[in-house]
Amino acid sequence: MELFKLEHKKLWRKTSTRICVLLCLLYIIGISFMVYQWMTYGSIKGNYNGHNFDGYENIKNCQTYGRKYGVLTDETLQEWVRDYQQLSALLDEERRTQGKESVETRQQYQNSGWSMVNSMLATLYPELERADMLGVTVMSGYVEAEKLTGIYERREKAVDTFLEISGQTGAERDYLLRINEKVKEPFSWVWVEGWRTLLSSQLSEFGIVLALFLAIVLSALFAGEWHDNTSPLLLTTRNGWKNLAAAKILTGIAFTLELFSMVAVGVILLQLIYLGTEGWDMPIQMMKMIAIAPMNMLQAEIYEFAFALLGALGFAGVVMLFSALCKNHVLALLLSLAVSYGPMAFHEKVPMWLEKTFDLLPLVGSGSDVFRTNTFHLFGHYIWSPYLIIWVPFAIGVLCLRPAVKGWARRMRV
Amino acid sequence: MELSIDRLTKHYGRKIAVDCVSTVMKPGVYGLLGENGAGKTTLMRMLCAILEATAGEVFLDGKEITALGADYRDLLGYLPQDFGYYPNYTAKEFLLYMAALKGIPREEAGKRADELLEVVGLTEAASKKVKTFSGGMKQRVGIAQALLNEPKILILDEPTAGLDPKERVRFRNLISDYAAGRIVILSTHIVSDIEAIADEVLLMRKGKLVSQGTVAELTKKAEGKVWELAVSPTEAKVWQEKAAVANLRHEGEQVVLRILSDDRPAEQAVPCDATLEDLYLQSFRE
Repeated sequence: MELFKLEHKKLWRKTSTRICVLLCLLYIIGISFMVYQWMTYGSIKGNYNGHNFDGYENIKNCQTYGRKYGVLTDETLQEWVRDYQQLSALLDEERRTQGKESVETRQQYQNSGWSMVNSMLATLYPELERADMLGVTVMSGYVEAEKLTGIYERREKAVDTFLEISGQTGAERDYLLRINEKVKEPFSWVWVEGWRTLLSSQLSEFGIVLALFLAIVLSALFAGEWHDNTSPLLLTTRNGWKNLAAAKILTGIAFTLELFSMVAVGVILLQLIYLGTEGWDMPIQMMKMIAIAPMNMLQAEIYEFAFALLGALGFAGVVMLFSALCKNHVLALLLSLAVSYGPMAFHEKVPMWLEKTFDLLPLVGSGSDVFRTNTFHLFGHYIWSPYLIIWVPFAIGVLCLRPAVKGWARRMRV
Repeated sequence: MELSIDRLTKHYGRKIAVDCVSTVMKPGVYGLLGENGAGKTTLMRMLCAILEATAGEVFLDGKEITALGADYRDLLGYLPQDFGYYPNYTAKEFLLYMAALKGIPREEAGKRADELLEVVGLTEAASKKVKTFSGGMKQRVGIAQALLNEPKILILDEPTAGLDPKERVRFRNLISDYAAGRIVILSTHIVSDIEAIADEVLLMRKGKLVSQGTVAELTKKAEGKVWELAVSPTEAKVWQEKAAVANLRHEGEQVVLRILSDDRPAEQAVPCDATLEDLYLQSFRE
């Protein structure tokens, strides 16, 4: 324990560690703050060129607007479309009579959450989409509201069609539909955009950033001893072999947990400040109609945090293995980055089976797989990908620890 | 306690760094002398069990040291030639870290670190970062860490490098006091350090152990081979080219040369007492 405490202190005393933690916090929390307050949710400027720095107030306005509908039914969807078309007509009127739109009407239009509803309409009512209107206006602008009926039946059909198009048939289709059966209807409906930002961009990119900073800090954990030229000293001490390696492994794990916690606390605080808790029980189908997971937004958020945490721990294990096996910490860093960023870079360009395999590597896959219908076929059974991609990266990391300790002990003996 | 080295050999590819070295060491101070590349550091690293020998073994009281593992390391104190440290640590923190690695309980470690910092004259600098230290101060931290666990076998590779004369004297006294009942092995290029404290000297050349004995025994080998010759400055230059001149000093108009030669180099040359340095220079004359 004493050795662990000292090793942990040693890691945190390094200037590089402190800089990495600071940059990681600045990047993730800083960008999140800018997204909420300015880049995405700031109201549109008077000259329509960019956003104002008023995201907090604007988000509250969006949430107020979203509360109007409460539950997703044929009626509320039709009501939303009518409201939207009225707003759209008002914008056209202002353009015609005043030569330009008023900022207030434009802002109301933006706050309506049209982007999310539009993708819902395109998924559920594809036959109502008009080819001649593509690039002219969005579907919500011209669709006849009264034709928007049977929304939940439409959803079932859309899921079915999607699985067929994806080539997911037979036992795989049945398996996925069994998961889908647990989705509870009707869906509650409040402002969705905030959750979409959080779940499909912020948290899913969490791992990419963590990977970089974890690799920089942890690649020097073992290999740094060669750089500091301290290995002959360590090796001639009673605890300088396996005990020190164990202390270093614990330090790596503790650091990963600490870095993750700091960033997670920052992200959650910002979420609570800007978005509050409203909509936590909204099903994730409000973000993506053909999602099959019976999850609400909070459950999806917990999954994505767990995915990032277990992925980060798994990745830490891999980095520590490289660090223990390489005498050069730069080489350990490059190998660690290659293991993570290499597959990320080629993810879209490889055959499907390889893409799925890449998803099992620590921090390579995405927590947003809860919105997808990917499966793994193992030993005659289909397994929904989120079940596997959360545990396998962690298991890879755990499997790396023993060779890291052994490799360190062996490698140190020149 | 007996440390026996049995035909210890280390090859790096075709290069032979240590060539079948055998000796037995009992408590006392052992000085390793040899030119650069003679194999001193390699031998020391093998004695510390951090470098695998190509052939041969090292035994402590009849037990092979790698088999003893942590029990052997418990008895060991080592100062490597290029002493590495953590730049952001203070001297005291560094010693406490090393103490934990050596398995010394925290309370004891604090006391021991303070004692050793005083012994090496670093009490006032105890809370300063090691990276701000001069070369000599860093070396003293290295010596202190080697002594933390009161090792029974102390191996010091170039311990006096970077120490000023006062510190060298302090170090020599410290080692002399410490060596009672323990095996201390040290290497240095400063022959006078070894002459002052070593009970036995091991002379290494091209990986081989060429001589071993007390200072008196070894200097005896050079007796009758060291001469002093007073010549003019012009002749001194000629002598420097044609003979092995160990020293040269000016006395008035003349230059007194200390010449190493098996035979009297000139009629005026007078024999003088040999020192370890003479033997060292004679051994590595070519």
